[in-house]
Amino acid sequence: MARMKFLCDAERCIECNGCVTACKNEHEVPWGVNRRRVVTINDGVPGERSMSVACMHCSDAPCIAVCPTNVIYQTEEGVVLHDKDGCIGCGYCFYACPFGAPQFPNGPAAFGARGKMDKCTFCAGGPEENGSQAEFDKYGRNRLAEGKLPLCAEMCSTKALLAGDATELSDIFRERVLRRGKGVEAWGWMTAYGKDKEEAK
Amino acid sequence: MSTILTRRGGLGLLLALAVWLLALGSAPVMAQAEPAAAQVERQQTQPLNNAPVWREVRSGESHFTTVRGPETGVLIQNEGNTWRQWRNGPISFYGGILLLVVPTAIGLFFAVKGAIKLHGAPTGRKMQRFSRFERFVHWGTAGSFVVLGITGVCILFGKHFIEPIFGNAVLGGLLWAGKTVHNYLGPVFGVFTLLMILTFLRDNVWQAIDSVWIRKAGGIASGEHVPSGRFNFGEKTWFWIGVTFLGLLVAISGLVMDFPNFGQTRADMQLANIVHGVGAILLIALSLGHIYMGTIGVEGAYQSMRTGYVDETWAKEHHQFWHDEVKAGRSRP
Repeated sequence: MARMKFLCDAERCIECNGCVTACKNEHEVPWGVNRRRVVTINDGVPGERSMSVACMHCSDAPCIAVCPTNVIYQTEEGVVLHDKDGCIGCGYCFYACPFGAPQFPNGPAAFGARGKMDKCTFCAGGPEENGSQAEFDKYGRNRLAEGKLPLCAEMCSTKALLAGDATELSDIFRERVLRRGKGVEAWGWMTAYGKDKEEAK
Repeated sequence: MSTILTRRGGLGLLLALAVWLLALGSAPVMAQAEPAAAQVERQQTQPLNNAPVWREVRSGESHFTTVRGPETGVLIQNEGNTWRQWRNGPISFYGGILLLVVPTAIGLFFAVKGAIKLHGAPTGRKMQRFSRFERFVHWGTAGSFVVLGITGVCILFGKHFIEPIFGNAVLGGLLWAGKTVHNYLGPVFGVFTLLMILTFLRDNVWQAIDSVWIRKAGGIASGEHVPSGRFNFGEKTWFWIGVTFLGLLVAISGLVMDFPNFGQTRADMQLANIVHGVGAILLIALSLGHIYMGTIGVEGAYQSMRTGYVDETWAKEHHQFWHDEVKAGRSRP
């Protein structure tokens, strides 16, 4: 069984926000909720790096550990999903998550009336029947059940964002790292925007 | 830094909390420009080495993003893990034990010693102990407190005792209602607590005669009736530590979580949640003692708060100085 993972290559991300848009469109995510976001470090300064972040589908997920109604669970493929029917909107998953993945349709509302938590599903829907309208309304498209990978990664123009089986992703990334800075650079920020190799020396 | 605190037990967690609190205070001071310069320099000397960038990723600083929302610019916040360890660790474990031990101890005490009964015969003459307003404030606080206590305990411990018995769907439905009630009733409790403090403040100021009560430990063990003013030292302790300190602590920390719309960060709300949990568990434990004494523990105590009147014998035996003062016309009933 595969262990599903996201991987974002900071050498390749160009902050196009295509993943954010693809996700919002595919799942018809509620207004105000962004299951994925791109954060740029040192924006506008030489050496800036961007990375796309969403739910990282942790093995020891803090959200699962703190949920008072026990509605967050992990599938056999390592995808962290939740049952919105039992969500009370307490916000504890939002406190616990290091990545800010859990979001709430009402935002930080008075009296803690946040509404039901929404987060990245790795395009794997929820507990409802696969591909059903109820599943789509609550969690968005279930692409995994259709044999497809998450749309954010599929749409990524530079293939900075990868999604899929962890071992596959590791192999791809290892390959990239080995090729980078080895004379014939295949990809990388320095190739695209950096100084000429001769100049850099 | 606070990630080192995985599962190390109490001391490690304490240390981590200290580090965390320090980090909360000092985090925004770090300059933005410096790491950028470090990255530029690193790129020249070691192309493809992004170590300065990754340090920033772990820093918890807010960076640029087009997505709007609470703390969307932060890539990784470490404090959540500390909060999780505290909440799921010592607060759940020791708090749970405390909430089981205290009622058991009270039950055993009642089984062995029984209620404190009147020694003399009731005179049949009543004197007023609580005004209508005082009773309104008391029962308003008490009612909201009991509902908040039960719903709060269910939010913290529900998945350990409700789910195994009734299943996940019942837990979800119950907690949905419970959380809604808790969030709307919380501010009401806060207002009642303030009223309670103002109403009963004057008669809870410590007096010289309280030393007698302390010396005899309230006569709880001996069954002896220790003279006291309108409130004895035990009641005063409950007023100051329970109602005033813990009551305000729980109310204020609750408001921090109840109104996230004022721009609190996750770290603020995690700290509020820890304070709220510890404070509430201690308050519930103390309140069990107060409820015991006010109902089955002392004969006539419940009637005094329900009707506002007590028998003169009761007043003389439990609050002799207050009785004498009322009789002498020096104190209002």
